[in-house]
Amino acid sequence: MSTEAHAENLIAADWEGGSLPYRVGHKKLGMWLFIVSDALTFTALLMGYSYVRASSEQWPEPFKFSPSILFSTVMTLCLLASSFTMVMAVKASARKDRKHTRRWIMATMLGGLLFLGLHITEWKHLIDEGLTPKSLPAEWVKEWPKASYLFGSTFFAITGLHMFHVFTGVCYLGFIALRVRRMSHEDVEISGLYWHFVDLVWMFVFPMIYLLSVYRGH
Amino acid sequence: MSRLEETFKNLWAKEDVIINAICFLMALVFLYFAAANLIWAGDFLTTDALFMTVVFLLLAGVLMISPLLWLQKHGYFKKLVGADVDTEPVELVPVHFEGTTRLFAGILGWLLGLTFIEVVLAYFQVPIILMLTILIGLSLVKAALIIAYFMHLKFERLSLVLTLIPALVICICLFFIFFPDSMRSKNLRYSATESQSQTAEP
Repeated sequence: MSTEAHAENLIAADWEGGSLPYRVGHKKLGMWLFIVSDALTFTALLMGYSYVRASSEQWPEPFKFSPSILFSTVMTLCLLASSFTMVMAVKASARKDRKHTRRWIMATMLGGLLFLGLHITEWKHLIDEGLTPKSLPAEWVKEWPKASYLFGSTFFAITGLHMFHVFTGVCYLGFIALRVRRMSHEDVEISGLYWHFVDLVWMFVFPMIYLLSVYRGH
Repeated sequence: MSRLEETFKNLWAKEDVIINAICFLMALVFLYFAAANLIWAGDFLTTDALFMTVVFLLLAGVLMISPLLWLQKHGYFKKLVGADVDTEPVELVPVHFEGTTRLFAGILGWLLGLTFIEVVLAYFQVPIILMLTILIGLSLVKAALIIAYFMHLKFERLSLVLTLIPALVICICLFFIFFPDSMRSKNLRYSATESQSQTAEP
């Protein structure tokens, strides 16, 4: 019996195991398991944020629709667009079109870098206003006298960790783009999985941190 | 086939049945708990009661997966989800449905549209509880679209989906156990004047 035919016999129905229970490579399975555990990290952070917000008497709602919300919407669009270019990179890699794979990955990195640049600008504005992990700006305290400084702690912790993930993702994609000739299709696909996950997390951070803290006036 | 081999084969078949029967019974027990909670919890629409119902239903659903797939394999009812492995030519090298550019552009369009709706909600300053509900709902739809299409999970084997998603969903639901406590601790706060003097000096 040839190896192929033997392996064919070992492949069983869904959920029955067999020689290839998931029919994906070990690297891809590893990335999926990492994504699940990392998703739980972000869930824990967002739940912690919801907890302190629900248990606080007052919570600052400082983001004016223009410019803050519009600014973070542009950041969201950057990430969504970069997710799409990553899909195109994976498609090009499936055709073994190395040149276009590299170009699409570069476009994805550009989207990621744009996101990082905008995010750092926004952080700088908030820090200049006086927001730190341990204190609120004086004007905010005047407007929301009962608010706790936990706003700053949760804001910097959650967006900071997400920013770190974007930064890691850009480095990872850069490595893949540099060595794209030696990478298999699955390697490109796995880097894509990571990048989409970063996008996915932002789809929860953006509404929960920004949109729910839109300035409502008094 | 030797006799020993045959005995093992029979034993294996029985083990299959026994494990699935146990799973099925446990699923029934959890369904009973969910129903009991519904009937005897008194006020049903509280965070606690809803939490218990959700967890019991989730556990029942997960325990049902294996018996249902087993029944399906033995031809008790038609296959609902997943590719039919018996008729599909088996590929040793993992092969993926590639998806057309048009499909992915469509998904991107949906994601942009849902984001637009979310931003519009912020613009019109919808009341915060309603806004929270809609935002989480829309975000879940967006997450599902990204996972299913961009991350290709829709085109993977059913076993991979069943390994990853239920565990994640159950763990996330378990986090909700903290919320009754957060509401309670709000009522245990200092009075407004006291907390005011606290925040004034960071």
